[in-house]
Amino acid sequence: MTNSLQNRQDILQDRFALKLTARLSGGAADLPYDISERLRAARAQAVAKRKVAKLQTAGSVVGNGSSAALSWGASDGIGFWGRLGTVLPLVALVVGMLTINSVQNDNRAQEIAEVDAALLIDDLPPAAFSDPGFVQFLKTNR
Amino acid sequence: MATEQELSDFLKSVEKRAFKRSVYHTRDEEAALDIVQDSMMKLAHSYGDKPTAELPMLFQRILSNTTLDWFRRRKTRNALFSNMSDFESAGEDGDFDILETLELQTDSEGTESAQDATERAQVLREIEVEVKLLPGRQREAFLLRYWEEMDVAETALAMGCSEGSVKTHCSRAVAALSKALGAKGLKL
Repeated sequence: MTNSLQNRQDILQDRFALKLTARLSGGAADLPYDISERLRAARAQAVAKRKVAKLQTAGSVVGNGSSAALSWGASDGIGFWGRLGTVLPLVALVVGMLTINSVQNDNRAQEIAEVDAALLIDDLPPAAFSDPGFVQFLKTNR
Repeated sequence: MATEQELSDFLKSVEKRAFKRSVYHTRDEEAALDIVQDSMMKLAHSYGDKPTAELPMLFQRILSNTTLDWFRRRKTRNALFSNMSDFESAGEDGDFDILETLELQTDSEGTESAQDATERAQVLREIEVEVKLLPGRQREAFLLRYWEEMDVAETALAMGCSEGSVKTHCSRAVAALSKALGAKGLKL
């Protein structure tokens, strides 16, 4: 009962409101000439600035090619694997440089170890080089 | 995607109502023209590539936001220049004069009698006066729901409020208009 009363009230409300807005529409249709013209000019100006969806043409692809490697934008169409492929050479370069550094360190340590070993297994003990008399002897023999 | 012609046709179909809506809100024809022009530009510039079906809702939202921006700007300007405005005559803001809206308008229609035309114009002016006197949110809900013929959900979306609020605003607006017009002895 309450619902039907409410519905009836809503219908009456809608009907009254639509009658009102029908009158308003009549008034809106009869706008003065100067206002209609200004609205027409505004419309023409707006349509002239209409946004047009960009089509991916061959020319634009070539144009974008030079900056493709520098851009990380989400809209550039590069997926996860594409980004991985871009990062991979960089990772390889860093790993290679670290490996070269490590190998060179090893080689240097190896050379020093060889010199030390040669000194230690020689007949002359290393302590002899700290003896002032032996140093003098070496100088005079040259 | 809406073509240039479709966009133009859409704007043509809404521009006059949009102008009148803005006039009801701002009570200033020049401001209303600016608001409608800005809204058209924003729609065309930012959403000109959208499908035609999406344009009405987008335009209503843009128009509402642009109107709100106008009110904000005016509030700021009034706050900045409040001392200067003390010297100006009572203007469009607080002291709204109903008589100002009762200007004589030329009516060139020849199909109805002069008396009918005068009565029709009189009723229209009275309705417009009462619509302008509604609180802002009620007026917005009423015009979107019944003039722009949006359903409750669309109106709620355009106004950024709940559907319950839209129903309440509309109900109060219609009740207020019915009471005010009835008090003036006007029948639709």
